[in-house]
Amino acid sequence: MSVFLSSPLMHNIFAGLAQGVIYSLVALSLVIIWQSTHVLNFAQGAMAMFASYIGMTEIDRGLNYWLCLVLSIAIGFLFGGLTERVLIRPLYGKPEINAIVVTVGFLGVIEAVAQAIWTSTTRNIATPLSQIYFHDQGRIVLLSPFVLFQFGLALAIMALVAVLFRFTNVGLKLRASALAPEVARLLGVRVNRMLTLGWMLSAGVGAVAAVIIASGSFGLYPSDMDGILIAGFIAAVVGGLDSPVGAVIGGLLIGLAEQFVLAYWSADLASLGGLIILVVALMIRPQGIFTTSVSRRV
Amino acid sequence: MKWLSSIVRQEKTSARLLGVLSLTVITLAITFILPPVADSQLAGGAAIAIVILGLSWLIGWSGQISLGNSGFMAVGAYATGIWAAHHGSTPLIFTFFLATVVGAFSGLLIAIPSTRLRGPYLAGMTLAFSAAVSPIAQNYTSVTGGEGGLFFNTLNTPHWFLNFFTGPNATINANAQWTADLAVIVAGVSFFFMANLFHSHTGRAMRLVRDNDVAAELVGINLPRTRTLAFVVAAAFAGLGGSLYVLINATVTPSTFPLTLSITLLTLMVLGGIGTLSGAVIGGIIYAFSTNLISHLNSLTGINPTSNLGANMQGIIFGFLLIVTMLFAPHGIAGLGPRIRNRVRALRQVASASTGE
Repeated sequence: MSVFLSSPLMHNIFAGLAQGVIYSLVALSLVIIWQSTHVLNFAQGAMAMFASYIGMTEIDRGLNYWLCLVLSIAIGFLFGGLTERVLIRPLYGKPEINAIVVTVGFLGVIEAVAQAIWTSTTRNIATPLSQIYFHDQGRIVLLSPFVLFQFGLALAIMALVAVLFRFTNVGLKLRASALAPEVARLLGVRVNRMLTLGWMLSAGVGAVAAVIIASGSFGLYPSDMDGILIAGFIAAVVGGLDSPVGAVIGGLLIGLAEQFVLAYWSADLASLGGLIILVVALMIRPQGIFTTSVSRRV
Repeated sequence: MKWLSSIVRQEKTSARLLGVLSLTVITLAITFILPPVADSQLAGGAAIAIVILGLSWLIGWSGQISLGNSGFMAVGAYATGIWAAHHGSTPLIFTFFLATVVGAFSGLLIAIPSTRLRGPYLAGMTLAFSAAVSPIAQNYTSVTGGEGGLFFNTLNTPHWFLNFFTGPNATINANAQWTADLAVIVAGVSFFFMANLFHSHTGRAMRLVRDNDVAAELVGINLPRTRTLAFVVAAAFAGLGGSLYVLINATVTPSTFPLTLSITLLTLMVLGGIGTLSGAVIGGIIYAFSTNLISHLNSLTGINPTSNLGANMQGIIFGFLLIVTMLFAPHGIAGLGPRIRNRVRALRQVASASTGE
């Protein structure tokens, strides 16, 4: 058993899952927005990056790591809500292309502003948790206290989102506003407020992903989230853009696929692992693997 | 090939030829006046205008959004680079033809899984494609030159053209202007082709598919084939534009086509006006002289161009313009003219109605 944990196969699985939970979080955040407003937010990664960078700046001024995490999430909330109110709300009822173009433009602005403030170099958040991998009979096991924390945090966030959507009154209103806005409005749900809340939650979840990346050994640079957003998007599409569970599983799948391409084919082509899965998934089941809704006849 | 003959056989073809020809000749005349640096910028703008035109066709006429056109550009560019590395002496027209065909083929490959997708799915899928091109280029070093890329010097200025120039910087001036003239001519041909495509049977079918796909299917239009064709044409234009783009710079590397280029293309297209020829021209002009405009703006506002803010000014302004244009003037600069005309006409009607009483 112990030899098994340090085997090359398990190395790849641990590394793949560690990357995969990040994709899962990003995919989940995309799905939350998609469910509530049917907008695919291309600025999601950049918004998360910005929130975590503000948290990072405060850490440099002596803030505690845990408070930085909370601060980043709070800024994510605020940022998400503001974005929905100012940029996205005028676009409801307009062609889909308008929202795509606006979020792509927002992505450009945020990245350029972040580079102007913090330069394009990689930054790292020092964690109180050790990044040193466990050893087992002298052989490395690709897990560290930080990686375990990363898994735990991601799981906790996912569980929180699930509980919120399934078992709370607010969650019911959120789902109602997404599914049948007119009916929900007639029944006294403040639909607009729910849409804003959806964006806030989503940006908060995204911020957690960015803080995890920045805390890892490779750190985070302003355009770093571009690739992660693409992987998260692929995960969300593979799982079905309206299925949070599918998004999480899709994220883990993409993380593993990339790691196995990296290990057994080529490090340069790692990001193609996800693309291959995407193309195959779209050919077989374009509406997503875990989706339940009826596909639109077009 | 029915669609191809339908492009050529049209009543207004001669009018379009005249329009594009006169614009091309005027631009060629301008290259004689411009300094060499501006000529080089103009060449880059012409290359980008071709790509924007393809994107404009795809988004404006077929209603399919792509964030992957920088990927198609890269395919055309690498086709050019790899060919030039082995067969540097082939005529340029063949290089352009090759880049266009290879670009079109990459568009076909992407279209097969993509054309069943709508809106945001399609945007994400094409974005994922354009992000995959540079890792591939990095991996297959023996063909693509890897990180260092490929160098080629295919744009040789012919002797008869050199003879026009005298003075200390004769060769530099001649090269810059030859590049610009060549780019303008290639762009002119592309614009003529697209102008006809817009008003062809295929173009009209495309618009119907965009506006009402059920109606399109009822009148016998093959939806998947029409959507695929839109992608193939857009990718062919991107391939040609990409080829021209790297020929001007005489090098292609994996970082020549970053993800931000897709954003820039989208910005220029939206800013110029989606689905219009004039929009693509405006986009190309803005691209060509954006560095000048930005540095001028930097000096006006007193921002140090080498500072962080100065270096990222272009990203901030482009992104901001993209948002503002989409929110307040979704038809872009090309759409402003008709909009103002309508406004004036409406005012005039109100005025004549009130005086008529």
